[in-house]
Parts: sequence; structure tokens; C-alpha cells
Amino acid sequence: MKQLGGIGSGKLEVSMICRSRLAVRSLPFALVLLLMLAVSLPAQTAKSYADVAHLHVQLVVPQSELYPGGPNSAGLYFKLEPGWHVYWQNAGDSGEPPRINWILPEGITASPLQFPAPKRLPLGPLMDFGYEDEVLFPFSFDVSKSARPGLAILDAKVSWLVCREVCIPGKAELGMRLMVAASAPASPTTSSADEDLWKRGIGLLPAPLPTADKALFAVTPTGFRLGVTTGRRETTAVFFPEDQNIIDNPSPQKLSPTKDGLVLELKKDTNLQANPAQLKGVLELSSGRNYELTALPGTVAAPPPAPTVSAAQIFRAAGLAFLGGMLLNLMPCVFPVLFLKGLALVQSGAEERHRLRAHGLVYTAGILVSFWLLVGVLLTLRAAGASLGWGFQFQSPIFLMLMAGLLFFLGLSLAGQFEIGLSLTSTGGSLIGKQGYAGSFFTGVLAVIVATPCTAPFMGAALGYALGAPVAVTFAVFTALALGLAAPYLALTLQPAWTRFLPRPGAWMEVLKQAVSVPIFMTVIWLAWVLATAYGAAALAALLSGFLLLAIAGWFLGRWPAKRWATVVAVLIVASVVGLAVYGQKLAGEAAPATAGTAGSSQSAGSAAWQPWSADQVQKSLAAGQPVFVDFTASWCLSCQVNERVALRQPEVMNAFAAKNVILLKADWTRHDEAITQALTALGRDGVPAYALYVPGETSPRLLPEVLTPGVVLDAINSLPATRSPAQTSNGQ
Amino acid sequence: MSSRHLKISFIAFVFVCAALYATLRFTARAQVDEARVGAQAPAFTATDSRGQTVSLNEFRGKFVVLEWHNQGCPYTRKHYVSGNMQALQKEWTAKGVEWFTVISSAPGEQGYVTDSEENAYLAKMHADPTAALLDPDGKVGRLYGAKTTPEMYVIDPEGRLIYEGAIDNRPTPDVEDIKGADNYVSDALSEAMAGKAVATAYTRPYGCSVKYRD
Repeated sequence: MKQLGGIGSGKLEVSMICRSRLAVRSLPFALVLLLMLAVSLPAQTAKSYADVAHLHVQLVVPQSELYPGGPNSAGLYFKLEPGWHVYWQNAGDSGEPPRINWILPEGITASPLQFPAPKRLPLGPLMDFGYEDEVLFPFSFDVSKSARPGLAILDAKVSWLVCREVCIPGKAELGMRLMVAASAPASPTTSSADEDLWKRGIGLLPAPLPTADKALFAVTPTGFRLGVTTGRRETTAVFFPEDQNIIDNPSPQKLSPTKDGLVLELKKDTNLQANPAQLKGVLELSSGRNYELTALPGTVAAPPPAPTVSAAQIFRAAGLAFLGGMLLNLMPCVFPVLFLKGLALVQSGAEERHRLRAHGLVYTAGILVSFWLLVGVLLTLRAAGASLGWGFQFQSPIFLMLMAGLLFFLGLSLAGQFEIGLSLTSTGGSLIGKQGYAGSFFTGVLAVIVATPCTAPFMGAALGYALGAPVAVTFAVFTALALGLAAPYLALTLQPAWTRFLPRPGAWMEVLKQAVSVPIFMTVIWLAWVLATAYGAAALAALLSGFLLLAIAGWFLGRWPAKRWATVVAVLIVASVVGLAVYGQKLAGEAAPATAGTAGSSQSAGSAAWQPWSADQVQKSLAAGQPVFVDFTASWCLSCQVNERVALRQPEVMNAFAAKNVILLKADWTRHDEAITQALTALGRDGVPAYALYVPGETSPRLLPEVLTPGVVLDAINSLPATRSPAQTSNGQ
Repeated sequence: MSSRHLKISFIAFVFVCAALYATLRFTARAQVDEARVGAQAPAFTATDSRGQTVSLNEFRGKFVVLEWHNQGCPYTRKHYVSGNMQALQKEWTAKGVEWFTVISSAPGEQGYVTDSEENAYLAKMHADPTAALLDPDGKVGRLYGAKTTPEMYVIDPEGRLIYEGAIDNRPTPDVEDIKGADNYVSDALSEAMAGKAVATAYTRPYGCSVKYRD
């Protein structure tokens, strides 16, 4: 290492010793000595910069005079050779930050170096924090009133560690001569070169976190979850811990942007014994924003489970999705649709079965394409910022109306009012030829559309997982779901031998077909009820009018089955129903504020204890030491209604809730609700039903299964710690 | 549409799944059981500069010190030029401690040595560790999560890691900082041998980064 200005610094130490003796020695002697120093020192003061191995280091002082109360800003500047770096205050896994020791005249002190936001510097398996190219560490001189005006000698011993693949410790003695003024000069002069350097450097210092923003951290099994609210969605963020040995530096920091900030998963140092009381450090965000923050312990909602998924998890989810898809065939909403396909199989002759195979594949394609489309639309809308969940289409009144209308029309046909393409009882021999591949395809599409609300009971977790996962995983899971849904029919078409197990065709088929219209009409009733509870009587009236028009259209088709004009009339009427649905949505929109809130199973006995959900209410109750149970529900979610009836509203369950002083909140997701969608996402779910039990003192809520029994809920309630609140409210009052 | 198409689409699906699986396996970082103070020190086997195979398990019943070393690192040099490290090695091996100098520098990196180079270095510096372990593939270093040279580990007779971190409390490359420094390794060994708990069991290691292969 080159050492510069060694002689000057030696003299200065002498002068310090002398000055300390000033009080006891005679004044003239001291004056003579001081005069000698004043003459000898300026010539020997160290330079303000040094060019040494791999770097240039320099003291930067924009002002030409220092004075009491002045900003007296300064900086220590490093210019580094390419590839070399110096370190941040926490250097990371190796390295040391630059240090500076001052020798200053009386009355002048220097503040510690301030550190601009660093960069992550990976080094094999290690991670350092530091600076490449150039860096300025700002500081300031504090000049007291007692400082002697005139020339002042400011000497510094600077040491650093500069590394590329190898590390080289460096040292330099830097010095400056500056005029000290008694007060602020009339026209301050500055050195423009220094000022430019200093200004460039000061802009890179992290700013304090704006007071409107919030930083909290929660302890997780692997480390810390840092949640920062900045008021905007943050898509890039790096956290630099101020304290060493808290965080495992090389571990990637998994970022989950939230609507108004971010959540960072930090892995803790393996040797960390006790969790810190606060998490201090610098947060680097997009477009060069750097904040110094001190995160306090608090609740940070877990981001949806995402990228760090194991292959085993994916296969489990895909397997679950496949099984779920197969089970969907038995759901009341899907079964009637598939039933028609099944009948076609039964009726088909042996010579047609090779064509059936093709129909099976087209049907599978219809299911696949519509699932992909649905997921694609959902992900696109989400990427565009909308917060939607699975079953989101049921939050649209226009969808509800069209869906109900379609099923009603189908029901009419099945019941025998008229024949449409899907019908079986054709006089001609080849049903399949009549139906066409388009028919098979759209049967698949229809199966998916009606299947979506039925997916919740056994698919909720898998769907939530899939929608939060990387896109490739999402599509793998939904492909498995689609294949599962298609599997039974596809298997039958591929292995015509299996159709031996199906019953022989006969008159019973016509009866069965008409019987199937009953569950279809039940589904229609359910949809009408959903629409009415969420959007009011006006929307319901519009829907019923639509039904009337559809019935008339059906009559035309049934009365004059072979006439082209009848078909035209029917199509016109159906078109007007679509128009009515759009109009109905307008009505629904107007009626919305009036009917908000009490959707679902409204105000039945025992529901008085349930209050509308809000995130604030949850926090408030938890703060008051009361556990909170949240029922995430929607009136279009059948399994939600079943769970409420069978488990949640049972007297023994309600009594148990009351005994433990549990606050009961109902989050109604029947209509689109941003806050609820976010709460669901935080739980790792993507749709209803979801049941969460928040316990005071626990960082994350306990989730109950999607199919509830009184026993399941009672177990959860009984596992609660004994209530501490004396305010025991008596049940039902 | 035929069964051929079905076969093709099925194969394509399987292929997509396989590719997905491979990607995930590849990106999932192999998580070895890392060394942690208070826990059992991970077992390892390495070859020393005299060609002998050394296995940690052989030294159960004795205190073991691991010293991460890079003869080109100024922080390591501080302790060798001053004779501090050699003195520690002599003092503690005399008291029955097994002292291993571990070199995890990859070939071509600073501090990488061959057997004969290391033996020559040991002789020249009058260093006296039990053995110098050559770990050019960084296996032992990564197993212990060694970050710097000199980083020190102390293992007790039960095989538990009782100290990990810096050699002393003066994180500088200056020889003059050795005098008066608090030597954490000596502290840990003295306390443990006296049957006491190690007061400072974990510190941030200082020095040059270990020159692992990237």
C-alpha cells in the first residue's frame, strides 16, 4: 500500500500533544510553538486524494469555507477500477466497510460516514454488499463557535478493503486545508468539481421511509416475512439488513408484490439464536428509490404459495385435479349435460363407434380449450390488476342471467317441448352425424361452464394453489382437471367394448331424458335465487321475463319443428333475451347499493351473531384479545350454503363459539369484492368456501377444511386457548 | 382424429410434465444439513497435504479446531506473519486439540495449493496444525458454510459445534491489532475445557471471502 503524507500526520500528533500541555506551560512558549507549526504544517499536509492499487480515494468538500451552523457537507469518494468493489456498512458474508479516523483542530468534529444503498455482489456461494465503479460516502463537519477562525488542517486516516477475486486492504492519509469562518460568508464560494461529485453521491443515500408507509415483519419457520406498504404495487425490491448475522445473505429474497406494496421472504442466518426486536436495513425499490426502514414485529399476511414449489407438490395437485375432474362428472350441474352424451353412446351402432372415438377427442378438446381459456382470461385480468378469484364469472349478473336462460332452454327441450341439436330422438339413423363435431365440442364447453361452481368443495385448495403458482404449473393443473373431467366419456369412446356394460337402448331413454330436466330446472332455480339475493327483485323480474320469452321461442320450435321461419323467430326471441340480460345487468347495477350486504342465507334465526367482515374488524378484535372466525362465502356457492346449514348454524356450534367469545364475521363474496379477494389470496385460497380462525397471538390464521361438519368446527373451537375476556356475552342475545 | 392423435397429445402432455419436473428439480437448491452452532458438526472426510485421509468422526472424544485458510489473503497473512496462528496451533495441540487448516480455494483461485506447495508453506511459516486439509472442490467449506479466511470452528468431544466465526474481535488486516485482541477461539476452548458454556459461540467471521469455484 502506498502511504501518503506520513510526515505531515506525525507532526500533527506532536501538535496535539503540545496543545494538551498548553494549560500548564507558559503562554509564550506555546505561541512560539504554534507559530512554528503554522509555518511548517501547510507545506507538509497530506493531499486530499490518493491513487493507490485499484482505486482513487478522495476527500470531497464542496464549500471553500467552514463555519458554525453551516451545512459543512463533505464526502469520502472512491473511484474503482472495473470489477473491484468496496463495501457497505454491513459488508455481507465477507469484506469490511471503509473506515475513517480524523485528526481535527479543536472545535471541529466530523460526523460518521453515511452509506448509500449498496448492490448485491454474489461471490460463488457467498453474498457481499457493496459498490462498484464509484461511490461517495457523505458526512459533515460540525464547527462549534469555539473553533478558531482561519486556516484549519483536517487530517484523516482512511482504511478500506477493496476486492475483486482477491481482497486488498488499503490505507491512506488524506488531508485538507480549509478556512474556518466565524459566521456564514456573504457569498459562499464552492468548488464546482467537488460539488458535482458530492451532489451525485448525496442523491444515492437512502431516504427515511415516508411516514405514510409502513414496514412490519413476521417471524416464519425459515426466517422473516417483511411487509412494506408504499401505496403502490412493488415489483422489484431488495432488502439489505443493517445488522449482521440476522439474515442468510446469499438466499434469494422472494418478492410477492401486493396491491399497495410488497412482501419479501427473508431466510434467517442458520446460527441466529433469538429473533431481533426490529429489522433494520435499506430497501431498494424500482427506479432508484431507496428507503431506510425499521420494521417492527407485526402480522404480515403470507403471500399466496408460489414459485418455490416442489415437483411432488405439483404432481399431487395435478393428481388431485384429475380425480376432482372425474368426480365433477357426477355433480348435479354437470351430470345432465354428460348424460346426453352417454345416451348417444348407448344408441350408437357398432359401425359408428369408430366415429365416436373422434367425438370423444373433440369433446375433450372442447373441455381443454374452455378450461385454458377460462384460466387464461383469469390470469390476464389479474395481471391487468383486477383481483378475481375462481368462479369470478358468477359475480357477473349478465353471466348469471345468460347461464340461467341457457339451462332453462335446455330444460324445456329435455322436458319435451321441442327438439334441438342436442336431442336424441331423431328419426334418422345417425345421431352423431346430425349432431356434428361442433356439437361435441360445445358439449365440452358447456360442461366446463356449468362445472365451475361445483369445483369448490374438493378443488378449492388445488385451485388456489394452481392460480397462485407459475403459469406453467397453473396450466398443468388445469389440464389435469380438464382431462379428469373428460376421462370417463373419453374412455368409453376409446374402448367401445366397455359400452357393453351400458344398458340397451329403449323407451326408458325418453323417460330418463325428461326426468333429467328436473335437476336442470333445479339448477335454474338456484341461479335465479343467487341473482335475486345479490341483485334484487328487479333483476329477478328481468330474468323471469327472459324465461317467458324463451318458453315462447321453444313453443315456436316445438309447434313447427321443420319450418325455417320458426327457427328464425326463435333465434330473434333468444336474441331479445340476451338484450334483456344486458338490460337486467343495468337494473342490477342500480339496485346494487340498496341490496348490498345481506346476500346468502340472509337473516335467518341464529345468524344475528354474524357481522359483516372487514379486515379492520379482524384486527380490532384480535387486538382486544378475542379470536375471530371468518366465513368466506357466496350465495352462488352451494357447498358454502351446505356448510352453513349443516355445521356453522347448528346450535351446539353457535354455543361453543359464544362460550369462547369468538367474533363471527361473514365475508360475502357473492359480488365482486376487492378486499375479500385479497383476504382470500392471503389465506392461499382462490375461492369460496374458506373458513379461517384467527387466534390472538398467532401470526397466521388456522384454516378449516372446505367441507365442514359440526365436529370439525367444534374441534377447532375447543383447541382455542381459554378466553381471557371477561365480557362473556350470553348466547343469542 | 384418431388414436394416433391421442397418443401424440398424451406423449406431449407427459413431455411437458417431465420438462416441468426437471426444471423444478434443477432450480431447487440442494439443501444440505448446514453447520449450526450448538448442533452436531457435519461429518466430513478429506485428504491432507501428506496424502492421508482424515475423517472428522475419528476425532470424537477430542476438541477439534477448523481453520479456513488462504495464504494469499491479507487477513490470513496478518495472523501468520505475526506468528499468532502458529502460536495458537502449538498452544492448543499441546493441550490435545486436533487442529485442521482447511484450504477451500478452487484451482486457479487465490490460495489454491498443491500438496508440496502447502508442505513447503507449513515448513517456512513454522506452522504446526495437526494437518492441512485440501478441499479444492469446496465440499467441506460449503458443508460448514465457511465464508471467510480466517474463519474458525471449534467442535467439542461430543462432536457438537461450539464456536463458529471470527478468530478475534479486531476485523483488520493489521498485525498491530493482534496484541490486545480478544481471541474467540482460545476463549471457546478454555471455557469448554473448564466445563463452562461458551459465552461467545457465534460471531461474524471477518477476512477475505473463501475462493470457491463459482
